[in-house]
Amino acid sequence: MAELRLTMTAEARNVLTDLLRLIAPAAARVSVNRAQIPDTDKEVASFWTESLSAQAGEEARLLAAAFANAKGEPAVIILKNEAQSLAFLRALSAVRFALRELVFSDIPDDQLERAEDLDDENLPNEKRHALACYSCFGLLQQSLISQIDSEAFD
Amino acid sequence: MAKPKIKPEIGTEKVVSASPQWNVVVLNDPVNFQGYVIVVFVNVLGISHTQAEKFMLKVHSEGRATVWTGERERAEMIVLELQQWHLSAKLEKNG
Repeated sequence: MAELRLTMTAEARNVLTDLLRLIAPAAARVSVNRAQIPDTDKEVASFWTESLSAQAGEEARLLAAAFANAKGEPAVIILKNEAQSLAFLRALSAVRFALRELVFSDIPDDQLERAEDLDDENLPNEKRHALACYSCFGLLQQSLISQIDSEAFD
Repeated sequence: MAKPKIKPEIGTEKVVSASPQWNVVVLNDPVNFQGYVIVVFVNVLGISHTQAEKFMLKVHSEGRATVWTGERERAEMIVLELQQWHLSAKLEKNG
């Protein structure tokens, strides 16, 4: 797979970077809490929890490094190979879940599936901001999926 | 004296797998995109894009799909891997 690129404005990059700093520390907890870990064997459960936590830590570092390195206008994130692209795709999913659980867990699933329609002025600013970022992370993810898809499946 | 011929007993025996089978079940979620779920299925389950799309559509329309069935240890690893990709996956005993 060739190098893949994700492009955004410098302003979007700055806003998303700031949000990542806030949300990343909680992402591991969200990941473990969401998982249905088998509880019949303590050793397995412990391994399971450690694996999910370690993975979440790696994802937070990956996102932080990628956004920090995306300088200039427009800001470009360059993913050099398939492994990097898939890891980044997965990390974006993690941060979207963290936002969902921590900021707008009160929004019903069916409404969240149409997140672009949710920019309601009645929502508190903090929630509107988080929703906008959630959608931006989603756009980056969709851009990446279309690039991976066109190379892998066409 | 001739030894009596021993007639071999011939019977049938039902062969049953010793270990119970476990299902890897994926549940629908409102966060992951359909395209993302397909990419995950292809990478984790090693199936074709077409089969992955079928599973994804089943999850989307029915709320859940069994994507793999087999021995517990392997099923656990697949569930863990799917959870590492942030899909809502769980283990269920088959039958």
